[in-house]
Formats: sequence, C-alpha cells, structure tokens
Amino acid sequence: MKRNFGPTYVAPQALWLTVFFAAPLLIIVAYSFLQKGLYGGVEVVFSTQAWVDIANPTLLKVTVKTLWVSLAATLIIILLALPCGYSIARSKNQALRLFLVIVPFWTNFLVRIYAWISILGNEGFVNQALRFLGFRAEGFQFLYNQGAVIFVLVYMYLPYAILPLFSTIDKFDFTLLEAARDLGSTKMQSYIKIMLPNIKGGVITAVLFTFIPIFGAYAVPLLIGGKDSYMLGNVIADQLTKTRNWPLASAISMSMTLLTAIAVFLFAFKKPKEQQIVKDIDPLSLPNGKTTGFLHRAPGQGKKKPSAKGAA
Amino acid sequence: MKKILRAVKPALLVLTILFVGLLSSACTKKDEVSKNLYIFNWTYYTPDSVIEKFEKEYGIDVVYDYFASNEEMFAKLKAGGANYDLCFPSGDYVSIMIKEGMLAKIDKSTIKNFGNIDQGVLAKSDFDPGNEYSVPYYMGAAGVAVNRTKVASYEKSWSIFAREDLSGKMIMLDDMREVFGDALKFLGYSVNSTSEAEINAARDLIDKEWKPNLLKFDAEAFAKNFAAGEVWVAQGYAESIYAEMDPSRWGEVDFFIPNEGGPSYIDSMVILKDSKNIKAAMNFIDFIHRPEIYAEFCDAFGFPATANVPARELKKGPQYYSAESLEPCELKKDVGADLEKYNAAWQQIKIGK
Repeated sequence: MKRNFGPTYVAPQALWLTVFFAAPLLIIVAYSFLQKGLYGGVEVVFSTQAWVDIANPTLLKVTVKTLWVSLAATLIIILLALPCGYSIARSKNQALRLFLVIVPFWTNFLVRIYAWISILGNEGFVNQALRFLGFRAEGFQFLYNQGAVIFVLVYMYLPYAILPLFSTIDKFDFTLLEAARDLGSTKMQSYIKIMLPNIKGGVITAVLFTFIPIFGAYAVPLLIGGKDSYMLGNVIADQLTKTRNWPLASAISMSMTLLTAIAVFLFAFKKPKEQQIVKDIDPLSLPNGKTTGFLHRAPGQGKKKPSAKGAA
Repeated sequence: MKKILRAVKPALLVLTILFVGLLSSACTKKDEVSKNLYIFNWTYYTPDSVIEKFEKEYGIDVVYDYFASNEEMFAKLKAGGANYDLCFPSGDYVSIMIKEGMLAKIDKSTIKNFGNIDQGVLAKSDFDPGNEYSVPYYMGAAGVAVNRTKVASYEKSWSIFAREDLSGKMIMLDDMREVFGDALKFLGYSVNSTSEAEINAARDLIDKEWKPNLLKFDAEAFAKNFAAGEVWVAQGYAESIYAEMDPSRWGEVDFFIPNEGGPSYIDSMVILKDSKNIKAAMNFIDFIHRPEIYAEFCDAFGFPATANVPARELKKGPQYYSAESLEPCELKKDVGADLEKYNAAWQQIKIGK
C-alpha cells in the first residue's frame, strides 16, 4: 500500500508563502510599531505614533474616496464582463475570443496607460477626430479627472473579471434557461433568477480579482488623475518616498490588508441558502419536496405577468 | 523521508537558485575593481556630448542612471543595493547625506578647475561649509513656462496661477517644497519657513486660490503636457520644458522666474562613500569645471553659466533665463523635523474634496 505523507505535500507551497508572503507581512506589521527615522527608514524604538497618525480626518476622506472609486469601477467591470463572459461561453470559437481578451497583457501596463493618454489627450486621436468632424477647436478635456481614472481602471482590470466569469458560465447548463422559459419566465428573469445564482462563485471571484487591485491602485490615478484623484496607493507611496514616514506607510498598508481580508471573508464565505438549490436539483426528482426555491415560484410569476414579452 | 525530500526538492531548488543568483551578483559587484564610472543624475542634466568626451579622454565607460526628484534619489540610495560613484543632489539633500554619513570627503587640491567656480555660489553653499563633501554643479530655480500663442498677456508673478480664465490649463509640480516655496515667497515669507502660521497661510493660498485653476500636480509629465498643448502655463524646470519641444517651437515659449522669486537650488556633485572608482569621479568633477566643457553643458540646456565664471565668456547659445533673475530667489534648505508641518499641509491640499 502506498504511504500517504499528507501535510508534507504542501511543504513547497508553505515554504513559498512563508518566505514571500508571511515574512514580509510581519516585517510591515513590525515597522508600523517602530519610530520613524528623520530621513527615512525606522529607528528600532517601540512607538504607536503611526497608529495615532492614521486616525486623522484627511486620511479618512481619502479612504472613503478610494472605496467609492473602487466600488464604481468594480460595478462597471462586472456589468461589462457578464455579457462578455456569456457571449464567449456560447460562442463557437471560444479559443479565439479568449485569446483576444488576453492579447492586451502582452503590452506593459504603463505603456497601455500612456496609450490612453495619447488617445484621450487634448491633442489626442479622439479630439483630433472630433475636430475634423467640426466640433469645437478647443477640444474636450477627457483626461485628468475622476471619470477618466475610473474609465482606465475599468479597461485595465476588465480581463480579470471576464476570465473567471467565462469559466463559470461555460460550466453552466444552458438547458436550465430553456426550462425556465418553458415555465413562463421572461428572458430577463431567466438570466437573473436562474443563471446569476448559479454563476455566483464566478461573480465573487471576479469582484475579488478586480476590487482588490483597484483598491490599491497607484499608477492610474497618478498618471490619468487630476488634482483631486489622490488615492490610498498614492498616499502610501508618498509616505515612503517623499515624506519619509515609513511607519505610517506600513500602518496604512496593514489597515488596507485587514480591511480587504475582512471584506473577502464576509463576501466569499457567507453562503446564502438559495444559491445551492439549482445545483441540488436532479431534474427527475423535482417533486420530492426538497426544492422550495424559485423554480416553484416561476409559474406563478408567469401568471401574474402574462406579458407579450414573456410570450414572445 | 525520501518522499518528503522529493516533495520539497523543487521548491528548495528554485529558492537555492534564486539566492545563489542574488548573492553571486552582489559579490561580483563588490569584489571587482570598477572600470566604469557609475553616475546617478537628474533627467536632462548632463549632455551626452560631454559624457562622450570624458569617456574618450579618460578611457572609462560611464554608466548613467536618472532620477526625477531628490526624494526618489535618496530613497533609492538609502535602500542600498545601488553602487553609484557620483551623484548630483540639491543642497538640502547634500546636508542630509552628510549627516547620514553617505558621502566621501573630497580632496579639493586635486581639482585643478576648482578656482573657476563662482565665489557667490560657493558662499551660498552653506549646506556644506568649506565644500568638504560637495562641489557645486549648477545653481538654478524652477520657474514658469507660458505658451505665448495661447496666453496673450500675463504678469511675471506667481499670481498667474490665480487666474480663473486659465482654469484647467495650468499645472504645478508635485513637489511639496517647490510649490510651498513659491507660495511662501509670494506672501513675503522665507522659502524655508518653519512657522506653522506662515505654512498654513501658504497652504490656504495654494488650496483656495491656485489649486482650483490647476489641471493637476505633476513632477513627471508636466513638460510633456506642456509640449502637447494640454496646459498653457506650467511651473517647472526650463530644461525639461525645452527638451520636450522641437527647437522650431521654442519661440512659442516664454520661461521666466517670477519677480517675487522662489526657491532656488544648488545641485552639487558628491562622491558616495562606497564608491569603487573615486579617482574617475574626481576626474569627472574636474572635467565638468573646465570652462569649455561647462559652456557646452550650459549651451545644451540654455542655462546661464551660474557656477563657472570663465565659461560665461565661452557660451555661444541663447539662455532661457538670466542669472540676474535668480537674485530674488532663496536657497532651499533642509528643514529637518519641521518637514512634518509641510507634510500635513500638503496632504490636506492633495487629498482635497
């Protein structure tokens, strides 16, 4: 009989995580409790000054702003990625379409940001085209404001949402949609009530993959943003390089990590009951009382609303 | 046991390769007697032609790396791992680097051309009394560049940033000490003020009068933005502005140091303590202060020959601003722990609404 070494199999990963994740994290925690060096670095003297400094209204303001920008960008990304993922999953040439989603990654992140600057700038391609079409000669100010930051963030992180959404939608049994239609739901209802709960895992992954990096965004607000686009990532960078307050930078980073971790746990590990139902249904054992979910309600709703849309 | 080893082996292998790689690269750098001269300097600050001449004459390869701000340079050197010989910090950072013990002493007697350096500049470089660690490279100041084709009339004053009719078409450096220095000088205070009341008055001026009209604060792309016509008025360095524009368009630009003055700087050449090639670094310092070489450097950037007296006769090209316009400026100094007051005020401005 083969012996099972159980936990030892994870040794490489554990070693990796310890050296490249846990140890650096502990160093950051330690730095946040040290005294700041006048010219950068830290003095090895215990101090809680950084955690006192962190509780100031300007930092709270920038945190709220960062949250707002991240949530707005994530929401737009998910709304765009859902139809994209769906169409790729249902397409005949999935490989080609997936390939097209990945192609932008061949170009460096910063180069793509500068590309947007030359597309949207006052003398950029879009403004030149608009001028050619007879719009005002001054050009439109597309860049250097909050809207531009969100737009470029959406562009940058869209693929990170499309890929997990595609892989879950691809596994979804599309005949369930037909079943729902047969039972009288509208097209929209079948997507929202049947498909969405089934691909919830993918949506969660997509949200995490986009929200977390956007929450720590640095380069996009720096290069695309205007005078009011300062985000938490920029605060940390400035504290490290310009104002030389490493303990404060560490404390802000730790708070962000904690905030993100808490959000991930609440978001990803909370399992509402309904989500499991469709998965559990065996089409042949429908009436066995186990399913009290929406499939049973669907005909009722069809009756309430026998719209032309539903019949079409 | 074997199986455990087998499981761990690939990871260990990768780690070993990584560490050995890192160590060996670090070691070779330390043991080798350098044949190269490693220079860490500002972007657009020493013309290629000058470096080529030096390489030819001394048979040395110059490796030239750039930084965009003193803070960036200092953070990189402080973090270690960078083996530079010669660096070009501004005065406030020369004093910081002396205090931190990062610099090697300079034997002035071996610099034949030291006598060419302007006495006024030497007197002003009190960040390093007696020039034990540093030799002045250039004295200058950030000013204002105006696109003449877009802005018809203007006063040569910092108050240009309060003009609402130019709102969204102006830009200032993302450099706390520079922007505060301008505001402090405009209000009649010292650019090195450590008074909380004065700093807060400057903050209110920047935040309420200037910032509403600015497109953004930017120290990296301001010259590109100006050259591309995104902004018509930019606070920044002349050399960056002109370097980004085609010479055929230089007539469009008016660069001036506002009448109130602002923070000026003396950038100096310093030799780092861990330098592997002090001799070459000394030769470079001496080489720069040859009158014909200094004139070539100034001509390349349209600078007045502020730090080198005989070079003034040899300069051929035009200059973007005169040495006299630097008169009302005040040298930026390290404010030590009082920097915290600037930090707090700057954060409030940056975070804004």
